[in-house]
Amino acid sequence: MEKELQRFVAADPEKCVGCRACEVACFTEHNRKTNHVGQTVGTVSTPILPRLYLTRGEGICTPVQCRHCEDAPCMLACTLHAIERKNNQIVVNEGKCTGCKDCVMACPFGAIEILPSIRNGLIEKQPDSDDNRKIASKCDCCIDNPKGPACVRACKQEALRIVELKEETDNKRQKAARILSGIKG
Amino acid sequence: MKVIQIDERLCTGCQECVKTCPAYAIEGEHGKPQKINETMCIKCGQCVQTCKSYVSLIDHDLALYEQIKEERGIPASVREPLFAAYNVCHLREVKEALQNPEKKTMVQCAPAVRVAVAEDFGMPLGTLAPGKLAAALRRLGFDYVYDTDFAADLTIMEEGTELIRRVTEGGVLPMFTSCCPAWVQFIERTYPELTDHLSSCKSPQQMQGAVQKTYGANQNGLNPADIYSVSVMPCTSKEFECSRPEMQDSGYQDVDVVLTTRELVWLIKEQGIDFDALPEETFDQPLGDYTGAGVIFGVTGGVMEAAIRTGYELITGQQIPCVDVTDVRGTKGHRTAKVQAGDLTLKVGIISGLTDIIEVLEQVAKGTCDLHFIEVMTCPEGCVSGGGQPKLLLDADRVEAYANRRAAILSYDEKLPLRKSHENPSIQKLYADYLEKPNSEKAHHLLHTTYRKGGQ
Repeated sequence: MEKELQRFVAADPEKCVGCRACEVACFTEHNRKTNHVGQTVGTVSTPILPRLYLTRGEGICTPVQCRHCEDAPCMLACTLHAIERKNNQIVVNEGKCTGCKDCVMACPFGAIEILPSIRNGLIEKQPDSDDNRKIASKCDCCIDNPKGPACVRACKQEALRIVELKEETDNKRQKAARILSGIKG
Repeated sequence: MKVIQIDERLCTGCQECVKTCPAYAIEGEHGKPQKINETMCIKCGQCVQTCKSYVSLIDHDLALYEQIKEERGIPASVREPLFAAYNVCHLREVKEALQNPEKKTMVQCAPAVRVAVAEDFGMPLGTLAPGKLAAALRRLGFDYVYDTDFAADLTIMEEGTELIRRVTEGGVLPMFTSCCPAWVQFIERTYPELTDHLSSCKSPQQMQGAVQKTYGANQNGLNPADIYSVSVMPCTSKEFECSRPEMQDSGYQDVDVVLTTRELVWLIKEQGIDFDALPEETFDQPLGDYTGAGVIFGVTGGVMEAAIRTGYELITGQQIPCVDVTDVRGTKGHRTAKVQAGDLTLKVGIISGLTDIIEVLEQVAKGTCDLHFIEVMTCPEGCVSGGGQPKLLLDADRVEAYANRRAAILSYDEKLPLRKSHENPSIQKLYADYLEKPNSEKAHHLLHTTYRKGGQ
């Protein structure tokens, strides 16, 4: 059987107010286990490093994150095979990543950052030096949480949603068909 | 006095704070940094709790993070994220006083601090930790570890007596509580003609401060000039309250400085104290002695319930049939109840969050409000949800946090051997040895205040 399309989170720039609640929620979700982040700010001992990025400019305000491309350029670019397809999402295998940046260069959306790898509140060191270990960081659609992406749940404006392509196209076709048939509303 | 600030380097102009602010004090264009209107801000700190615009390593850098920490007076050891909306921090002054051998340091902490402080050490939301809190304050080097809950009991004696007098002798009614400094500022500015409706009682923080530098100084053989009085509050507005010129009835500034719950956590962490491993200790006597009635001041309806427990017995001379006055409990922003005490039917109201306050104030102004006594707290569920409390990472956790903190306060009250303010033996002794009786001349001088009409 043909595999399902990879799901992703999309933002509606019309609704986004730029509050950064999505970024804080993303960070919280991904650091509960590895960095003992609890429910309050006081339990955080690392910088907030989210996997989606509020992007602001003249007339623009919206988070940008991974589209989980079917033929993911980042995955293809990674010579170490540190970017994998897992449960229908494109994810970084952090153990394998060396921070070579090929994925950053390949991604057309700027959805990947090279960031310090932090464990137990401390920046990891490179295996053979005292330099900080830096690795690729990107959205994994909260693959381990049955409740779904934390950013979507945190957005009070409902500016973020998981895109279900079938529903998306069905709705659009319905709308297009009505317009083409001259039915208003 | 600036208490709440918004850092324009960080603010994205999302205006979530504007939606939260009960005083309409935040101004600005959408998408541009917001500003606090000082003439409107009541310093409740709900914007501080809401703001998520953090110092980012991606948009900003580590140098800015360190610079902002320094500018805000936050200890260098703090590693938690910093946000655009913040309250001015006074930790440096407290640390200096703790290191000054000439200063005798006294600390008090509010009821709501003990049900939230542990959260910032990774414990579950609403963990009850009065014993570890007292132990931590002692490890920090405070010479006297007192408790605002004592003064909450004292407030009930004074405020309850004032209410009975107003009801029976035809005073200004309804009477509003005056514990919440943000509310006091709100009415002073928006309805200055109604400030006579405020109880003349100082808040528990200020009563505690005034008693510590007088009776407390006597008890401990101290010169009040040498006392440095710190209070730990769930509230950002308390710093403004303690600096009001009216609050010097001990002959000195009654409370020298306020730390929020979060700032206390920073200090505990900086000193390398393992909060989780601390033993359970008690507050110092007699000014750290309290009943369950003092404890419940931390939740909406608590002041009312404590006042009814004592008021009933003062009016009727009989024991209240049920010490749990559940009719005044709850979390709805506007509640009313009737309490029968002998021949008197007392009609009471409770307001939490200021959403419904204008309607009530309008009724009072028109003379159509038939309530006798109204408790008002600015924060959504009373002090447990104060602007200085541990800040939640996810807004979705707010319901659980407030419910757990509230449940912890109520269960602590249930566990305490004494649950009525007038039964507190240290309060009885304070009156016998020093204040004579509630609302005495001495009590009035030390524990009551006046309000400004429209002033800053």
